[in-house]
Amino acid sequence: MTKYLTLLKLSWQNGLVYRLSLFTWRLRQFLSSLMSLTVWTVIFTSNNNAFGYSQDNMITYIFLIAFLQSIIIASSLNGLAQRIYSGEISNHLLKPFNIFAFFAIEEIADKVKNTFFLIFETFILFLLFKPLISFPDFKIFSIFLIWCFGGLIMNFFISLLFGSLGFWSPQVWGPKFLFFMILEFTAGKLFPLDILPKILQKIIYITPFPYLSFLQIQLFLGRLNSNDILHHSLIFITWIIFLGLSTKYIWDKGLRSYEATGQ
Amino acid sequence: MKKTVIKIENLKKYFKVYKKEPGLIGSIKSLWKRKYETVKAVDDISFEITQGEIVGFIGQNGAGKTTTLKMLSGLLYPTAGKIDVLGFRPWDRKPAFQKQFSLVMGQKNQLWWDLPAIESFYLNKAIYEIPDKEFDITLEKLATILDVKDILQIQVRKLSLGQRMKCEIIAALLHSPKVLFLDEPTIGLDVVMQKILRDFIKIYNKEFGATIILTSHYMGDVKELCERVIIIDKGSKIFDGKLDDIINKYARNKILSFTLGNGTSENDLKEYGEIKSFENQRATLIVPRIQATQIASKILNKFKIIDLNIEEASIEAVIREIFGDKNNKQEK
Ligand SMILES: Nc1ncnc2c1ncn2[C@@H]1O[C@H](COP(=O)(O)OP(=O)(O)OP(=O)(O)O)[C@@H](O)[C@H]1O
Ligand SMILES: [Mg+2]
Repeated sequence: MTKYLTLLKLSWQNGLVYRLSLFTWRLRQFLSSLMSLTVWTVIFTSNNNAFGYSQDNMITYIFLIAFLQSIIIASSLNGLAQRIYSGEISNHLLKPFNIFAFFAIEEIADKVKNTFFLIFETFILFLLFKPLISFPDFKIFSIFLIWCFGGLIMNFFISLLFGSLGFWSPQVWGPKFLFFMILEFTAGKLFPLDILPKILQKIIYITPFPYLSFLQIQLFLGRLNSNDILHHSLIFITWIIFLGLSTKYIWDKGLRSYEATGQ
Repeated sequence: MKKTVIKIENLKKYFKVYKKEPGLIGSIKSLWKRKYETVKAVDDISFEITQGEIVGFIGQNGAGKTTTLKMLSGLLYPTAGKIDVLGFRPWDRKPAFQKQFSLVMGQKNQLWWDLPAIESFYLNKAIYEIPDKEFDITLEKLATILDVKDILQIQVRKLSLGQRMKCEIIAALLHSPKVLFLDEPTIGLDVVMQKILRDFIKIYNKEFGATIILTSHYMGDVKELCERVIIIDKGSKIFDGKLDDIINKYARNKILSFTLGNGTSENDLKEYGEIKSFENQRATLIVPRIQATQIASKILNKFKIIDLNIEEASIEAVIREIFGDKNNKQEK
């Protein structure tokens, strides 16, 4: 157990070395939330309902998306493919420490750090906009937390899968970029997905993307009935299992062709 | 009878490299049709090493030394053949195995770049589950021998190459590995540091009965540390035996280099040995090994010499001599 804690502490320390880039990145996140909040506040001065969202709902939506963005989607593993291709992971492979545990801890350290900043940011936004955020009941909230955890796991597998491209090729920016583009639109970050045409929504709902933020928020806002919850939970679990198995399979293959370059 | 610690049989590692035809047309063609070529980095090598041996692993650039060490460490999956280290198959990467060896590469770093070295040491302590007391004693000992006590608190990125290398060595040895793979550990170090490191490797080997494989392009390292050497070339083993045997048997020449006072021409030197270079009064001669000192003193007597150096032929030269390459005299 101590080895995990020591690594966690070290990752955290390491993450704080480059404070400037950390602050700029957080500032970007903060400004993006600030902008969304302002835009939607303006929209709601003339309407009290937009796309089926009341003003409070929409504000809650934006607060939540900022939160989930940092907790589910942000990942310290974005450069993983490069680290594999350059042979940097050799260090971890040589030690009696499971490499996936290593990545998981790196992620946790990163997320704890994000959350820490996020609490401050949220506090400031709170003072500025004084939103009315109503929490769901205990049962829904518990499912919300579980879904958040599920989203986090799912994103972890996705990051590992993208990273594994580094076993074979240095050119991973293409697919990664495409993924981010799709993610921007389909995780509900830019706008709620339910303003899209029905047919498009149907397609998006069978992909993993809405499980990376959007559905968690829908759940929180009380916009899903128990049928929906069950339905989505099943798809969610299926995706997690599928992605988990794929990750294992691909990594087994990848490690066999790993070339440990770098010297 | 000493225990066999490392045993490899018919080990092979082939890499598939993608070959691009030159030019624009080649680039376009390669979009749908790629040509691959097989590089036989290690091609059917076998050997056994017993406990406590220090074996020098030598060969020219690209011979397959690093590749072999990476397979012995479980980083690379062999194309064919068997490896047994301490009774484990390295590729399985079992923690019980990983706790007993270390791979040190001259240019690779395991230390956390942005943190002081001591932090990485603590992490290793946790990962290798080293008891507090043992850790303190080992660290104290290593830091004293390598003289790094006052730099352990400094960010690794700010250390000099040699200081960093020392810290790397400490990080690799904290868990007192029984088997050590050293890949060019003295690369880039000054002569004083090289000496310290060599002495240190010797002590470590004696004290822990550690089994060590060492690669180096410095004959000095190998000469001082290894009784036995394995020479590989183009992925195959071409020599396995006592170091003395190669030097006596194959290294027939030594290299004399010196700077002359003015007024001596290249021609005057011809009778003393093969002239390898002569430029700005600086000369390099290749002379028979046994006569090296004799010839040196003759030259010192006859000419005005500013400085003089007698060197062993390089590992590369020895290897080439083993091959019986006729051209070696011209090249060095
Ligand atoms: N990942 C790789 N892909 C393709 N070829 C490789 C790869 N790694 C090594 N090789 C090739 O395998 C051969 C052996 O390389 P290796 O690094 O083992 O040599 P070495 O004996 O350590 O050389 P050096 O003394 O220069 O360190 C070289 O020809 C090298 O180009
Ligand atoms: Mg090498």
